[in-house]
Amino acid sequence: MSGIAFTDVTRAFERKGGAFQALEPVTLHVPDGEFVAIVGPSGCGKTTLLRLAAGLDHPTTGSVMVGGRAVTGPGPDRAVVFQQFALLPWKTVRQNIGFGLKCRGMSDAEARPLVERYLATMRLEGHGDSYPHQLSGGMQQRVAIARSFILEPEVLLMDEPFGALDAQTRIEMQEELIRLTAGQRRTVLFITHSVEEATYLADRVVVMAGRPGSVREIVDVASLRKAERWAERPVEEVMELDSFIRIRTRLWRLLRSAGAHRDDAATHTLPIAS
Amino acid sequence: MAAASPLHRSLLGAPVIGGAAVVGFLIAWWVSAKSFDPMRIPQPGDVWDAAVQLATTGYAGGTLAQHTLQSIMLAFMGFAVAAGTALPIGLAMGMSRSAEAVFGPIVAFIRPIPPLAWIPLAIIWFGLGDGAKIFVIWFTAFVPTLINTFTGVRTVDPTIIAAARVHGAGPRRMLLDVILPGAAPLIFSGLRVSLQASWMALVAAELIGAFFGLGRVLMTAAQDIFPGMIVVAMAAVAVCGATMTWLLGVVERRCLPWLKVTP
Repeated sequence: MSGIAFTDVTRAFERKGGAFQALEPVTLHVPDGEFVAIVGPSGCGKTTLLRLAAGLDHPTTGSVMVGGRAVTGPGPDRAVVFQQFALLPWKTVRQNIGFGLKCRGMSDAEARPLVERYLATMRLEGHGDSYPHQLSGGMQQRVAIARSFILEPEVLLMDEPFGALDAQTRIEMQEELIRLTAGQRRTVLFITHSVEEATYLADRVVVMAGRPGSVREIVDVASLRKAERWAERPVEEVMELDSFIRIRTRLWRLLRSAGAHRDDAATHTLPIAS
Repeated sequence: MAAASPLHRSLLGAPVIGGAAVVGFLIAWWVSAKSFDPMRIPQPGDVWDAAVQLATTGYAGGTLAQHTLQSIMLAFMGFAVAAGTALPIGLAMGMSRSAEAVFGPIVAFIRPIPPLAWIPLAIIWFGLGDGAKIFVIWFTAFVPTLINTFTGVRTVDPTIIAAARVHGAGPRRMLLDVILPGAAPLIFSGLRVSLQASWMALVAAELIGAFFGLGRVLMTAAQDIFPGMIVVAMAAVAVCGATMTWLLGVVERRCLPWLKVTP
C-alpha cells in the first residue's frame, strides 16, 4: 500500500505516575498524491501522528508505513516543514535550501542550479545570501518549504506550517502551497488548528478528538474543490462560497461534539475568517 | 530636570568619561605618592624608570620582551591544552548520556578544587619548569570551557536537530552543521572565561616558582622592595590578558558571522 498508512497505531508516553496515552488505536490511510489535513484540539495527538510518519518517534503498538515500507527513522522519501521554521540560523538562505542535497553528498556545483531554481520558485531572489533572522516569518517559511521540496520527497509532512504567521501572510502561503502542490503532485499530511485552512487546502479533512487522540471523522472536500475549481480562485472568493461555508461549519460542529477544548479551537480558527 | 542636549550627550560620551577617569586616576596617584612613603607607593616617574630598565637592561634574569614572551607562550599553551581537551569531552558529554555518566563525576570532583591548590602537586611532578605551569593552567582553564560546551550542546533547539535529521543529516553533518554552530556562542563564552583563568593561574604559578616570566618579575620585585617594577609587571600582565581576550573576540566574530548581521 503506497502513500501513508497508519494501522492500529497507539503511542503512550511514560509520565510520573503512569503512562500517558497520547493515541488510542488510529487507522488512517493517505493514498498517493492526496492532500490530507488533520484538525483537532491541542493534545489530540495530531503532531504525534506526524512525528511517527516522519520517523522522529515510534509507535507503542501498530505500524506506520510510507510508500509500502515500514517507518524506522527519518528517510529521504519524507520531508517535514515545522511551525517554527527550524532553519539553521548559521546558514544562509542558499545553504539552508541546499542542506538536504549536501547531506545526500551532492557537491555545491551540482546543487547550485537546483537551489537557484527554488529561490526563484519561492520568490526569494535577492535573499540567497541573507541569514534567516534577516527575513520575515513568511519568507523564512518559504525557505523551509523550499528546503523540503528540493528533495522531491514522496511525502510532505507539514506541522502547522503557517501557525506562526500573521493572517495575511498565512493566506498568501496557502495560495502558494496550492500552486506548488498543483505543479508537483505530492502526498501531503498537513496538521493545522484552522478549520478554514484545512477546508481550503485539503482533499480530505481528518477531525481528531483528544485525550487519548483518535480519529473522529473524515470529511471529503476533493470532489467539491474539483467541481468548483477552488484551486484557480483567490482564497477570499472560495471562503465566500456556500459549499465552503457548509463544510467549514460541519467541521466546526464535529470539533465541538468531539469534546474539543472549545477555547483552543476558537482562538486558532477565527482570525482567518475575519 | 530637562534632558541633556544632543551636544551635551555626545561630549559626555563614554570615551570622554573614560579618558577623564584615567587622567583623574593619574593625578590622584601622583598626589598620594607625593604625600606617602615613596617606598610603598611608587611615583609615576619611578614606574617609567622601572619600565625603561626592564625593557632595555632587563630585570630578574631577562628583559621585558623575554619575560612577556615566556608568559604569553605558557598561557597560550596551557589554554590550548585545556580547550583542546575540554571541547571534545564537553561535546561527547553533551551528545551522549554514557559519556556524561563517565566524565560527569570526574568533573564534579575536579571542579571545586581551587586552581592554586594544584600548584604544590605540579611542582612535585614537574619542578619549576614549563610543564608545571601548563599543568596548573590546564586544570584551571579546563572546567569553564567544558561546562559551557556541554550546556551549549544540550541547549541546541531540538526542533532544529529534528529538522536536520529529517532532511538527511548523518552524524558528521549533525556535528559540523548543527551541534557545533548551535553550541558555538556558549563555547566561546566558556573559552573567554578559560582564557582569563589561564592568565590568573599562570601568574600565580610563576609567583611561587619560575625562572622566567612576568610572575617571576613580580616576585623578584617584591623581594627587592621595588614598587615601580611591581606596577610595570602588573601592567604588562593586564595588557597581555586584555590582548589575548581581544584576539579571541576577533576569532569569535570570524567564526560566528551570522550573529553580527542585523536586518
